[in-house]
Amino acid sequence: MSYDAASARNERAASTLRQADRTFWGRLVNWSPYRAFAGLVAASPRRQFLILALFPILWVLTQHLGPMIQMVGVSFTDAYPVAAGTEQHLTLDNYARFFGDSIFWMPFFRTLFFAATFTFCTLILTYPVAYYLARHVSRKNQMLMLLLLLIPFWVGEIVRTYAIMILLGNTGAVNLLLRSIGLIDRPIPFMYTSFSMGMGIVYLTALYMLLPLYSALEKLPKSYNEAAADLGAGAWTRFRRVTLPLTIEGISSGCTLVFLIATGFYATPVLLGGPSTTVFAETIAGFFHVAGDEWPTGAAFATIMFVSALIVTVVFQRLMSALRKGDVK
Amino acid sequence: MNRGNRVLLSCVYWAFVLYVFVPLILMVLVSFKDSKFIGFPIRSWTFEWYTGVFADAQVLSTFGYSVVIAVLSTAISVVVGTWIAVLLEGRRFWGRAVIFGLTVLPALVPGIISAIAFRIYARGLGIEPGMGAIVWAHAVHNVPFVVLVVMARLSTLPKSQIEAARDLGADPLIAFLRITLPYLVPAILGASIFCLLLSFDDFVRSFFLGGYEPTLPVLIFAKLRSGMSPEINAIATVALILTAVVGIWAERFTRRLKKETEG
Repeated sequence: MSYDAASARNERAASTLRQADRTFWGRLVNWSPYRAFAGLVAASPRRQFLILALFPILWVLTQHLGPMIQMVGVSFTDAYPVAAGTEQHLTLDNYARFFGDSIFWMPFFRTLFFAATFTFCTLILTYPVAYYLARHVSRKNQMLMLLLLLIPFWVGEIVRTYAIMILLGNTGAVNLLLRSIGLIDRPIPFMYTSFSMGMGIVYLTALYMLLPLYSALEKLPKSYNEAAADLGAGAWTRFRRVTLPLTIEGISSGCTLVFLIATGFYATPVLLGGPSTTVFAETIAGFFHVAGDEWPTGAAFATIMFVSALIVTVVFQRLMSALRKGDVK
Repeated sequence: MNRGNRVLLSCVYWAFVLYVFVPLILMVLVSFKDSKFIGFPIRSWTFEWYTGVFADAQVLSTFGYSVVIAVLSTAISVVVGTWIAVLLEGRRFWGRAVIFGLTVLPALVPGIISAIAFRIYARGLGIEPGMGAIVWAHAVHNVPFVVLVVMARLSTLPKSQIEAARDLGADPLIAFLRITLPYLVPAILGASIFCLLLSFDDFVRSFFLGGYEPTLPVLIFAKLRSGMSPEINAIATVALILTAVVGIWAERFTRRLKKETEG
């Protein structure tokens, strides 16, 4: 920017400032309730901090932590909401119920297994894409090509699940294609299987894997690979010994995110899965369709699921960081 | 890196682009199909489903309901999120890590569990299922995203600007309102659009906290459970175009705004 333009802009800014002082801000500062308030706030840095911090602390405790605490609390009771004239008792029955019946723990283990598998599929699918974007595309095109991938992910869960239903149905596009090139005579029943569910979940979560991978790969200096090449490492060795270990952080956060999201899907398994692929989210939801005393069991199951998902991700992250340290050595 | 590898990787990228776009394009195509029967091939085309959707009072009111919920919950998330971000960014105090952890908690809780926890909590507070409950759940769920976006922007604010304002006699509040807040506008706008889309697209919280009136995703879900029809494609296509357009516009707009305030 030329000097003249800059000074003109400063001039303009200064004049608007003067005008503003005469109008809104000037009046606000001289307004007596504001002065009283400002005096109260400005009395000491300590008070300033307290006023700033009070609301956020209350908010995260009551709104972010509160629901989780109450869910855990309810899971140890025998009735919620408590009907008039009855008493609420503490009990472990809700947890005992989980272990007592395979109709409950089968979906639970299935969910963990599915979520882990789908997370792995997402990783395999998106790593080359992230790699290509970060290493082989010019800086300017990177943003455009990333934006192109972002567009479908602004579309909601239900709409995208429906799109997968149309793709995989018996009269869907995939079956039509396979039939028209003569590979099959009658449609393959993709829908209502673990395959269609996996397609849906991978489709919905790919971006959450892609972005952490991309930012990890993008941070990695190209010179590392060049140095390895100079030392005689082939393409595969460079990838395995340099790129992969140095992007473990991205892999780890992407996988954690996708795993947590995948365990929490409800609508997608309902719409894309079948009777043999019931996931734990559907089991939990079942306790809330009926009003009344099934809620504590639902809360207990949700707690089991949350704690297990946390344990899996923490163990996974420990494992990944151990792997990284081992490789750096 | 050799040429062959590069070509192979670019093929992988474009295959991925196809993978994310083709299902949506097919869904849009079926919405123009002149038959009640979902599937391919499409032999004749029609606009009938769209005229039906725009004449359907239930769909229109559901649409309005979803928009109102999105706007209200976003307003709450943005105020709370900005406040938390201002507290957390660049300040060291006892318990900061705990507050940060609690702040991002709602974003990490798997969908179904978050919905259940909100439902139980709302019941405990005496909030009936319905609009208020959905707005509240969406607002809480979206706060972490606002905090992260605003914190990232706030960390790039030159400290000297605040100091200059203070030297010129502005009290902390005025300095915040006249220096910090204008600087945060691109981040706040970006976060708002993101929250609007999250709320508008949310299914699981709206489903478990909703009363008799469905939001748009809940309506589509209910219609899907009673059978597929091109009418659903038309509704979904309208929702798709709207969210994509808003998303693209916001992306361009916030980027331009960021450039302007920096340049």
